[in-house]
Amino acid sequence: MTLFRYILRRLAEIIVIFLIIQTVLFFLFHLAPGDPVARMVDPNMAPEEETALIREWGLDQPLGTQYLYFLRNFYSGRFGVSFHYGAPVAEIIGHRLPNTVLLFTTAVVLSALVGVRVGKYVAWQKHSHVDMVVTMAALVCHTLFLPWIAMLILWFFAFKVGWFPVTGMISPELWSNPASGGLMKALDVLHHMALPLLTLFLIHFGSFLLVMRGSMRDVLTEDFIFTARAKGLPERVIRDRHAAPNAALPVVTYVGLSMAFSINGGALTETVFSWPGIGRELVFAVSNNDYPLALGCFLLIAWVVLMANLIIDTLYACLDPRICY
Amino acid sequence: MGRLGVLLLALFALMAVGSFLPPLIDPMYHPMTGVDPEITRATPPSWRHWLGTDFIGRDLLSQLLAGARVAFMVGISAAFVSVVIGTALGLVAGYAGRWTDTVLMRLADMIMVMPTLLVVLMMAVFFGQLSIWSIVLMIALFRWPGVSRVIRSRTLTLKHRPFIEAARIAGASHLRILIVHLLPNVLPLALLYMTFRVTSAIIIEAALAFLGFGDPGTVSWGMMLQWVWKTGHMSQAPCWLLPPGICISLLTLSFYLLGRAMDEVLDPRLRKEKGVG
Repeated sequence: MTLFRYILRRLAEIIVIFLIIQTVLFFLFHLAPGDPVARMVDPNMAPEEETALIREWGLDQPLGTQYLYFLRNFYSGRFGVSFHYGAPVAEIIGHRLPNTVLLFTTAVVLSALVGVRVGKYVAWQKHSHVDMVVTMAALVCHTLFLPWIAMLILWFFAFKVGWFPVTGMISPELWSNPASGGLMKALDVLHHMALPLLTLFLIHFGSFLLVMRGSMRDVLTEDFIFTARAKGLPERVIRDRHAAPNAALPVVTYVGLSMAFSINGGALTETVFSWPGIGRELVFAVSNNDYPLALGCFLLIAWVVLMANLIIDTLYACLDPRICY
Repeated sequence: MGRLGVLLLALFALMAVGSFLPPLIDPMYHPMTGVDPEITRATPPSWRHWLGTDFIGRDLLSQLLAGARVAFMVGISAAFVSVVIGTALGLVAGYAGRWTDTVLMRLADMIMVMPTLLVVLMMAVFFGQLSIWSIVLMIALFRWPGVSRVIRSRTLTLKHRPFIEAARIAGASHLRILIVHLLPNVLPLALLYMTFRVTSAIIIEAALAFLGFGDPGTVSWGMMLQWVWKTGHMSQAPCWLLPPGICISLLTLSFYLLGRAMDEVLDPRLRKEKGVG
């Protein structure tokens, strides 16, 4: 019950925070140098479309009314019309979002699974050669500059040896051919996803490993590990059943704290590999001065980040019975 | 580990200082405007150009050196500003408590979860081309929350200590207590966080430059990568791709190692563990 109330309180907070972000963006939209109408209306638009858009966003009204129009449009799912695509922003985002979710969650889950396992293992052999080498490698992975390692991977695997496609998410000729089956299409997406996945995996794997190793070594000094040893339990049981579950908690916290960092990384990876996701779309929109699209992408990302943090905090409360809200 | 970090940092500092040299030797070696008249395409390393040239015949080594200078400039100034903001707000939040604390920390939470790179990108939407100093300022304004949280929790443990109460009884004002009694006690922690902020600032600036939103008047490592990327030389000129990326990654690593070493000095628990193991 208390958890339920905690979630409700956090949800209310998130709504307030989101409103603040929207308000700040709205005022930046109007206070920044330049004509705000020009930011919402594509210069190449037909006059009747333009008047319709001006009416929809209340761009001829006073600022306060415009603000209400802005909020109303946003909460009824109208984000404006993209300059570049000439299509509603909501539609474009709807197409891009699944691609980002697919790449991002696969990468984070995979690197968390591997990173936590390896971290657990090396923490147990502390100060051995294996520990030294693996930790140093993780540290290097953790500090690699993402666009650079992405370009290196692209250069080697796509240009030099040519095992993987250079850009995109699908091969158009395969998808337009009615004869190709679902399995072929899935394999095609996997083939395109391999390199961006590898990039994100390298970056996240190092961080997960370092966090797990550190927290595992903290847990090892606790009394209950001493007790487990005194009971004569085998080392493997102490490691996997007694130490690891407790050490995994900071890893959950870390996922939440590093969310912003990973999202930056996701946008960079998508850009380098031309993966048709939200991050790349935002970068693209900013370079083209496509204001409605940039605004839509950014607000969506902000919303996802806030919700993800709530989910992680709730998960933490479920995992750790000592926490009560 | 810490020693390796310091050694690498000294090397990078040497590069930054050395960046003034090449243009003095020959205007051809100017990182931005110097063009070798005999070269019209990207070339591999040679005696004339130790690291080769870019696609219009600019010397890569002198660009790399200039990049070190920009990285230090951006990293240290952004980290300094964000640590000053973070320390000030953290001290005030911890010392004042009540609603000041709540408001400041909620604000910190809000800013902390936002991806800074994308936030600065949004600013580029509204304000057009950002200069290097506005990028620095922007990074600083969005990277203080982590610092202020740590400083706040340290302040909370300090403010009930007898020496603070003694100061209050002696008639010290709040401002005096904050500056004379609390600040010196949180300063080492702030310094530690500065080393971590330096890296994040350098990475954000480099990523921004890589995406094409850097200051067009500066030669940073991110900018060099952007040139490789935009001119489509990635597939042909690995010798152009390697140096800037290695430099960014190594500089990040060395600040990280330095931070870890300082952490060990400040946190006796880590030191003991090292001694025993």
